[in-house]
Amino acid sequence: MDPIRPEGLKELAAEVVAASPAHETEVVWDVSCDRFARFASSGPTQSADRVVPRVQVRVRVEREGGLGEASAVSDTLDLGGAKAALERALQLAGHGAVSGDLVPLGGAVDAPLSHGDPGVLDQGFEVMAGWIERAISGCEESDLSPAGLAQLTHSGRAIVNSAGRAVCGSTSRAALSLTASDPGGGGAGFGDAISQRAGGVDVERVIHRAVSKGVMNRSPQGIEPGRYTVVLEPNAVSSLLLFAGYQGLGAQDVAEEASFLCGRRGEQAFSDQVSLFDDAQNEHYQGLAFDWEGTPKQRVELVKGGVLGDPVTDRLWAAKLGVANTGHAHSQPNTHGPKPGNMVLAPGSQSMDELIGGVKRGLLVTQLHYTNMIDPRDLLLTGMTRNGTFLIEDGEVTRPVKNLRFTESLVSALASVSGVGQEVEVAGALFDGEIVCPALRIEDFRFTSSTDF
Amino acid sequence: MSMDKMQLAKEAVRRAKAAGAEYADARLVRLNLEELSVKNGAPGEAGAPEEWGVGVRVRNDGCFGFGARPLVAGSELEAVTEAAQAAVECAGSLKGAMRTPTGWAELSGDQADSYETPVERDPFSVPVAERLELLQEANASMDQHDSVVSRRAHCSLRREEQWQASSEGAALHQLLIRTGAGMDVTAAANGQVQRRSHPSSWGNYKSGGWEHVEAMELPLAGPRLCEEAVALCSADPCPSGERTVVIGASQLALQIHESVGHPNELDRVHGHEVDLAGSSFATTEKLGGFQYGSELVNLVADSTIPGGLDTRGWDDECVPSNRWHVVKDGIFSGYHTSREWAHTVGEAGSKGTARAEGWRNPPIIRITNLSLQPGTWDFDSLIADCEDGSIFMDFVKMWSIDQRRLNFQFTCEVAWEIQGGKLGRMLRNPTYQGRTPDFWGSCDAICGPDHWDLWGVSNCGKGNPMQTAEMSHGAAPARFRELTLVGAE
Repeated sequence: MDPIRPEGLKELAAEVVAASPAHETEVVWDVSCDRFARFASSGPTQSADRVVPRVQVRVRVEREGGLGEASAVSDTLDLGGAKAALERALQLAGHGAVSGDLVPLGGAVDAPLSHGDPGVLDQGFEVMAGWIERAISGCEESDLSPAGLAQLTHSGRAIVNSAGRAVCGSTSRAALSLTASDPGGGGAGFGDAISQRAGGVDVERVIHRAVSKGVMNRSPQGIEPGRYTVVLEPNAVSSLLLFAGYQGLGAQDVAEEASFLCGRRGEQAFSDQVSLFDDAQNEHYQGLAFDWEGTPKQRVELVKGGVLGDPVTDRLWAAKLGVANTGHAHSQPNTHGPKPGNMVLAPGSQSMDELIGGVKRGLLVTQLHYTNMIDPRDLLLTGMTRNGTFLIEDGEVTRPVKNLRFTESLVSALASVSGVGQEVEVAGALFDGEIVCPALRIEDFRFTSSTDF
Repeated sequence: MSMDKMQLAKEAVRRAKAAGAEYADARLVRLNLEELSVKNGAPGEAGAPEEWGVGVRVRNDGCFGFGARPLVAGSELEAVTEAAQAAVECAGSLKGAMRTPTGWAELSGDQADSYETPVERDPFSVPVAERLELLQEANASMDQHDSVVSRRAHCSLRREEQWQASSEGAALHQLLIRTGAGMDVTAAANGQVQRRSHPSSWGNYKSGGWEHVEAMELPLAGPRLCEEAVALCSADPCPSGERTVVIGASQLALQIHESVGHPNELDRVHGHEVDLAGSSFATTEKLGGFQYGSELVNLVADSTIPGGLDTRGWDDECVPSNRWHVVKDGIFSGYHTSREWAHTVGEAGSKGTARAEGWRNPPIIRITNLSLQPGTWDFDSLIADCEDGSIFMDFVKMWSIDQRRLNFQFTCEVAWEIQGGKLGRMLRNPTYQGRTPDFWGSCDAICGPDHWDLWGVSNCGKGNPMQTAEMSHGAAPARFRELTLVGAE
């Protein structure tokens, strides 16, 4: 069978559910077909052609005093392997204590069918070899060293449970990233593109962005840390905003008082130029239309005009709080609670030139590196700039500067947004996740130390 | 068709050769995990993942290709054939884009052997009920205060079995057992959310059996953790400025990992990880002469050390395990290498640190067990030797480091100010910032073997797409002079 065909996965999952003697059973079956090629100045360095399946069986069995819940996972495409996982889950659920908070599995739903583009895999290694040739040549022409990743992925998922729920869908992703570094140890530039369509990667644009930044950033000079107006490009914005997704925008985070939403819901906490929503059906980068419990994902206004909204929920937290389930469950069971997974920061009205033009003295930041959280209540974050940091003087980019470390509260930063870019991009970060976002201009952004390059 | 697993690995190699590979290796990997957690008194996660698949790597005209497929009972031969063909096709499609062939250190002679992690009590033989009872007891021991919003206890058992063959004649079998557990409590009060953990932020994991978990005495730690988490919510923030700081062993383990381990990976040094994880300040001209730390600082890489998460027989390129100095008497002395990169520092053979996550990834250079060698100080004597206003801090809360591994900033869960030679008031959000060689250069005291332990890192990310690997870092508390504290609030 075509390993990605969602309907086929759904049929397999249904067979496992039918074979289960448990009080409740849920089967999540994923398959990802993935081809990637990493490269550097020597050419392709690593590559892989992989088929990676994953079936998770979650069961609840009747025990004295309640239900016992457990799950088992197997990376198999085989019905026999899935049934073996079912047996392990049954065995685990039959031992030990009764599970605590459980709500019944959800019944039948109408979830929009998510369709990835299987054509991304048709592009194959030959196409990626062409991208790599062009990227290396583009860097060589400017005496820069390339390193990057070309990747083509098509994934399918089906979720079937014993309460009558059966949903399936697929996603696709084509991506190219390029870091163009000064071989003498100077600075670097970065460019990337992420698309859901075969042919959606603008290779020349990626190369142009990385190489032009690399050339501009060849000899960065040191600059004192302190407070600066910053223009953050989308790849820098994503490193910050993804943390709000990791910690803060889920109902469990709020209930455990580990969220910046605590005591601030309904308040104008951010600039009125900031609107953030979670929407798997957004026009720029669609995700699966259902969450890990098979619930259709709802569009949720997380921040509207700077006013903080409510957190996202799953079945458990919706029941606990007596609110609607927004369809943001993660893989079950888990101890982390629901999280937003398809965030979009709404675009504003300003071009990049206008964002930069409004800065008397500040910094243009291409990317952030190793952002991490010190404190969840104000989302106090730290991290480094990377791959192109430039001084802005009187509205013009004047020279490259060495990288700086920031230590700043995301709550304060988003309260100090003075401009929002008009174009959005799909952007990721060192840790997991991708969001759709524009560039931002932020006043008084705090840099606390510097580094040697 | 059923076939002995080693025969199947050899067959994958044979089919890759038949499809045109100059060199081929194959790894059949079966991974079993059992994970349990108890949160707020009730079972949280109970999972039993299993992975079973084959990864085939080939090298043709200096170009690598890799194919990976899951193994399905009854059709294993089809899967290994498909993986082998995919690897050869992958290398064939890409080799036209090669500018320079990759390096390659030959391995001499056939190798056929087996390695198993020594285990006192097989963790998979410990009944689920016994494991859950321990976690329930640990969880209940943290239920001591109204300000507690979350308490969690967890354990994980990992059994990884690998059959590895290569076209050079290797036929290697490994069975690696890793076991660990931990607990943490979070309190919220006074606008603060503070967490304390035991025995470290992610628990602790070692190669070996359930004996490691029994030694943790989890339930005994609960009341103290709870008290400290609650106290942190009303503790003073840690001050800024330059101070003498004693750093605890579990925090030092992560410091070793981030500021010595990663910059020591030779593929990073050569720019092959710069697109995501970053590169390194520890460039090859520094080898043998660069002052990485004070002369007290000795850092030893060792994939043979008992209990290490990366203690094994061979790496995923069939290279035997090894032990060597990365920093000796403060001087930068050696790299983590692979067969691809060893020649670039004039070494004929690899140190054996190329590893892959499971069957589905090609190997890359990974940090192995890397430890700061113990000194001679007793902990109480070291604290007593510190001037008033010095700080003792421990337990990882936050970590961040630049892409060349120079500028770092770390926050610990808890700190105490030292007054009169003893630990005084508790301080929250202790955050220090520094530059790698300056930091290690300021080390003037290290506690002795009685305070030294191995700390497991079970979630190290590297590569692109990212792979996860495990390793341990041995450390004892150590003192650093004039460290910059950052007022994180």
